[in-house]
Amino acid sequence: MSSSPSIVYLDNAATSWPKPAVVAQAMSRFLAADAANPGRAGHRMAVAAERMLDRVRKQLTEFIGGTDPHRLIFTMNCTDALNIAFKGLLRAGDHVITTRLEHNSVSRPLQAMADAGFITLTRVGFSAAAGVIDPDDIRRAITPQTRLIALTHASNVLGTIQPAAATGRIAREHGVKFLLDAAQTIGIAPIHVLNDAIDLVAFPGHKSLLGPTGTGGLYLHTTVELKELTAFREGGTGGDSSSPLQPRQLPYFLEGGTPNTVGVAGLGAAVEFVQQHVPATTLQHERHLVQQFVDGVRKLSRLTVYGPLGEKAAENRVGTVSFNVEGYSPQELGGILDDSFAIAIRPGLHCSPYAHRVIGTFPDGAVRMSPGPFNTAEDVNKLVAALCEIAA
Amino acid sequence: MALSESAEQLEKSDPTLARYNRQMLWGPIGVEGQRKLKQSRVLLVGCGALGTVLANTLGRAGVGHLTIIDRDFIEINNLQRQVLFDQQDIADQLPKALAAQRQLARINSDIQVEAVVTDVNHNNILQHARGQDLLLDGTDNFETRFLINDVSIHLNIPWIYGACISAMGLAMVIRPGVTPCLRCIFETSPPPGMNPTCDTAGVLGPTVNMVASWQAMEAIKLLTGNVHALNRGLLSFDLWDNRYQQLNVARARDIADCPACKHHNLEYLSGKFSSSTTTLCGRNAVQISQPGGHRVDFEHIAAGLRAVGNPTFNKFMLKCPITEGRGERRREYELTLFADGRAIIKGVNDAAVARAVYAKYVGS
Repeated sequence: MSSSPSIVYLDNAATSWPKPAVVAQAMSRFLAADAANPGRAGHRMAVAAERMLDRVRKQLTEFIGGTDPHRLIFTMNCTDALNIAFKGLLRAGDHVITTRLEHNSVSRPLQAMADAGFITLTRVGFSAAAGVIDPDDIRRAITPQTRLIALTHASNVLGTIQPAAATGRIAREHGVKFLLDAAQTIGIAPIHVLNDAIDLVAFPGHKSLLGPTGTGGLYLHTTVELKELTAFREGGTGGDSSSPLQPRQLPYFLEGGTPNTVGVAGLGAAVEFVQQHVPATTLQHERHLVQQFVDGVRKLSRLTVYGPLGEKAAENRVGTVSFNVEGYSPQELGGILDDSFAIAIRPGLHCSPYAHRVIGTFPDGAVRMSPGPFNTAEDVNKLVAALCEIAA
Repeated sequence: MALSESAEQLEKSDPTLARYNRQMLWGPIGVEGQRKLKQSRVLLVGCGALGTVLANTLGRAGVGHLTIIDRDFIEINNLQRQVLFDQQDIADQLPKALAAQRQLARINSDIQVEAVVTDVNHNNILQHARGQDLLLDGTDNFETRFLINDVSIHLNIPWIYGACISAMGLAMVIRPGVTPCLRCIFETSPPPGMNPTCDTAGVLGPTVNMVASWQAMEAIKLLTGNVHALNRGLLSFDLWDNRYQQLNVARARDIADCPACKHHNLEYLSGKFSSSTTTLCGRNAVQISQPGGHRVDFEHIAAGLRAVGNPTFNKFMLKCPITEGRGERRREYELTLFADGRAIIKGVNDAAVARAVYAKYVGS
């Protein structure tokens, strides 16, 4: 089934769409000219591919306030980055603190390790009304065995931005590593490895960075030593083939196999586009749209918006907000919005079952609308008008 | 008579043939035809009403290898027409394919019956169809029939179409390159919910028996090499209104610019025209999406669904709770249908069950 050209796309928290034209152009250009295997083959195309990777590594490292591009690992998405981090860093007996806001890409690998008796796990709660955690809850959960704190930078259900810097400071004070899941924020909300005391950042390329799917990254700050890590994935690195083991050199230690060069070429162009348009301006734009939505549906007594409400509903949010309409399941509402109004939103649990339990929407979940940089006030008007008709 | 003498001789040398005596006495089959049946491999897609009559008849007739695919379990309301099943099968909670295999083993232990409990779709049908001599339609939906049609063309294997509802039946022998194919006759699947289904409009046992017996006879002709005797028309009848027709479809292949058999554009086998299922995030529910811009008529569908539940609809969607089975086997579903034919089936997390529910109550 092909999507209608007139579709109102409000599912940017899952994958941003449309992509800037420069992304497809960069991918197409790379495919046509330089799409050889990167690495140390030495021929000009291999060198060009390697240089492109290095350039995007540097670009992304600077973008998140990192210091060493060699510590930027290309991954296939944020889930991949998180798995590389958890499985590479955690040791038997470690205690990990995470939150009830997390996506399954954090919750599931940690839960599996806890169920296997490999680690112990504490999940701190959050305020359903404000949609944020209290860093003091994290401080109180720290034990002598605590090795890692894993926090989402913004809830993918509520859109609420979490206190990353405060959590980072607590982690640093206690000698605990701090991992930030930047799935919902990279490209739109500021992330600064140094200022926020972040040890690891995992991020996707295909959301607010506006890059293609199949791209993402893990940045390891210098506070994470190479000797602390094991390689989640081992294989060819394009150099040092005589070594029987994965060469202990970043980024190659964590990058076995041919990387998604075509995707990274697109990601590089996307990051440039995002920077040119100034993330803070885009964030303001998305917040306006969220506020417009919250204001627009306020009069609908059958509609419930979750998380912060009122005039400042969007103040601490990225462009994401969830709601339900009494009398319809989220899946039905999603079906109606798509079928009768050509509006794409996302119903269900959004891979965040713990968050939905806290806000009281488990097991059906809610409907999430998430505007991106290319959405307009008119798009939100269409959604509000549709909901007025449905919830009348 | 020479034929019966040779049959008797053969029965002496191979006692397993004794059971086919009356069949071998029919000249065009004879000993040679019986041997051919024994060497035949037949895939039966769907083992409900048509399928059980087909399996029963062909199993007794001595088709040597029968593969039976079906995704469903037996329910009490099947026994009125699904001749291979009994109350014990329901008590044993057997899938239809396995119950048919068990029953056929009691009837004829000289044949091999393979049972496959699965939802036939464009991803798995080829592995079951390769190496077969004939494909038989025992399905309840157009989508799977068009899929069989594509496979028939792709692997150059004949198939026999059969369909019935209430007292009406349709059937046709389709041989790639020789006869028109199903898409020469019906271009694509009808829009979802347009045609009544056996679960909404009912079906009478004799209708089923007549269609499947016709299919079985054509199968025997084909497998015994009696190609000249094959029926070349599209059988259409109504046993209640006493109407019998044999439509001449010989020229359909020339007239139609058939995407499937003329252009080898196998859109059902490639998956382009298949419905797709998604297990939805949240409470156990499966969404079935239909390809290609159909709009369904809620009023029309609600009228049919009143036979099984209490459908309600507004301009956006139709909802109908459906209960199947009793006691331990009681299952409750909720069907939510949207205007483009997509549906959310609540109460299931198995895509095969959701597709079965859709085929039974909406029609695909």
